Amino acid sequence: MDSITLTAIAGPSGSGKTTWMSQFLSNRDRPLFYCCPGMGAASVDLARIAYCFPWVHLLPEEQTPQIFAKLPDRALVYLELGFHLDLTAPLLASLPCHRVAVVPSGLQTSPWHDWADEVIFGNDIATPTPDNLPELWRSPLTGQVFDAPSLDEIAIELTEGAYGQVQRVKGIFELPDGRAFHVDFVKGLPGIEYTELGIPRWLEGRPDRFSGIEVVGWNLEKKTIAQTLLAGCLSDGAIAQYQEQYKSLMKSETNQEESILT
Amino acid sequence: MKLAVISCIHGNYEALNAVLSDIDDRKADQIYCLGDLVGYGPHPNAVVEMIRSLDIPTCQGCWDEDIVEGLNACECSYPSQLAEQRGRVAHEWTNNTIHPEVREYLATLPMTLRLDNLCFVHGSPNSQHEYLLPSMDGFAALERILSTDADVLFCGHTHVPYVRNLEDGTLTVRVQQPGKDELETQFETPLKQIVNAGSVGEPRHGRPNATYVLYDTDTAQVELREVPYDYELTCAAIIAKGLPPIFAWRLARGMEFAERADDPSHVCQR
Repeated sequence: MDSITLTAIAGPSGSGKTTWMSQFLSNRDRPLFYCCPGMGAASVDLARIAYCFPWVHLLPEEQTPQIFAKLPDRALVYLELGFHLDLTAPLLASLPCHRVAVVPSGLQTSPWHDWADEVIFGNDIATPTPDNLPELWRSPLTGQVFDAPSLDEIAIELTEGAYGQVQRVKGIFELPDGRAFHVDFVKGLPGIEYTELGIPRWLEGRPDRFSGIEVVGWNLEKKTIAQTLLAGCLSDGAIAQYQEQYKSLMKSETNQEESILT
Repeated sequence: MKLAVISCIHGNYEALNAVLSDIDDRKADQIYCLGDLVGYGPHPNAVVEMIRSLDIPTCQGCWDEDIVEGLNACECSYPSQLAEQRGRVAHEWTNNTIHPEVREYLATLPMTLRLDNLCFVHGSPNSQHEYLLPSMDGFAALERILSTDADVLFCGHTHVPYVRNLEDGTLTVRVQQPGKDELETQFETPLKQIVNAGSVGEPRHGRPNATYVLYDTDTAQVELREVPYDYELTCAAIIAKGLPPIFAWRLARGMEFAERADDPSHVCQR
């Protein structure tokens, strides 16, 4: 395991941990591994890494110790530690890794500073005090396809506080034209970021790939959020109708290109 | 004569009272109402009773029509599936809440009202559901006014107040029929104006304040009024009466509730 480089990244929600780490995932010179302990298999970050960097191997957290023993030479392993994890837990404390804290520049001291070997300044956001940590609510949405204007409305209402005080929203959402988007909101940063994922369009029924949402905040009205999300999801009939329209549109565009070429 | 033109009250009794007080303070001689007395808000019966008791000339809004005729609007009514579901909840609630005499009154409202060279409509002269947006094509906007034979067209429905001047000019109309010579007619149009009164009870301008318009028939001067009121009372009533709390949240932010007003090229097919 001597040739293996293990990097653990921690910091408050929205500080930019995944963004900081992502800069290293494009370099495929060494085998890359990623693990997000405490989030299970249905994590937005995990899915986003899988969609954006398909060459990165995802480590299932329940088998992490055994897999660590079998990692190939020169493996680069990134462990992303959520804000809710106790950094003094025995597993995390015993890992022989380089510890990176991604924190706002205005934060001078914190448990992340105490824990880290290296401190990186990330997004300048307000950091909750340890005695008032936010809660995390998440829901898988796999198979759901959203009416785009509804999704936009839901994102505005959610991030502007209609269903509780929200600090962070991230999610992967499917649209009826077959595209999937990563949606990212951090309180204190401008706007809601929509990024199209570079994965094939899904135009055959309900998508059989991960989508989901994670909300971090206080006094979250979870039931209402779930009901509102469902109200923005399309029925089987509507999905089929949209998919036929897009397939026909794409076919006619392809035919036009072919006729220009000939 | 000083006219006050109000629109889109949407069952918001608190907002209506505040606007009526402001109109009183401004010493308006006559009030006209452009409809949408009901829908979304918690006090549809009280609003209609107030309008009737003051004998305010009122034209029929799209929500008033929906309560009488049932929901049968074209796709322009809602910007999203979510909004449509919320609109249906509001429609059902209002439909179950209003008194029979209120429904009968709404059925009697005319589509347009006239006063000399002024015309009053809810959406457009074509339909209560059609939006005359400020960004609407100039020729289409002019056509809407010309169809009324008025110089000033007062409308609501968009929930955002504005004044649009359509400068005087020459219009050329060519009519071509098979087997006949082309017929060309030119005519001059004087300055025409569209005045949107905004919304008393469900604003969409980013603040909770009610809006309406004052118009001086002698000077043709238009004044857009914005009136603060205790919107929290309306928000509390929305929740107390079992309407979705998101209606109150949006009202408090001047975000309207649900309807569509974002496509200036759309012509309502209802």
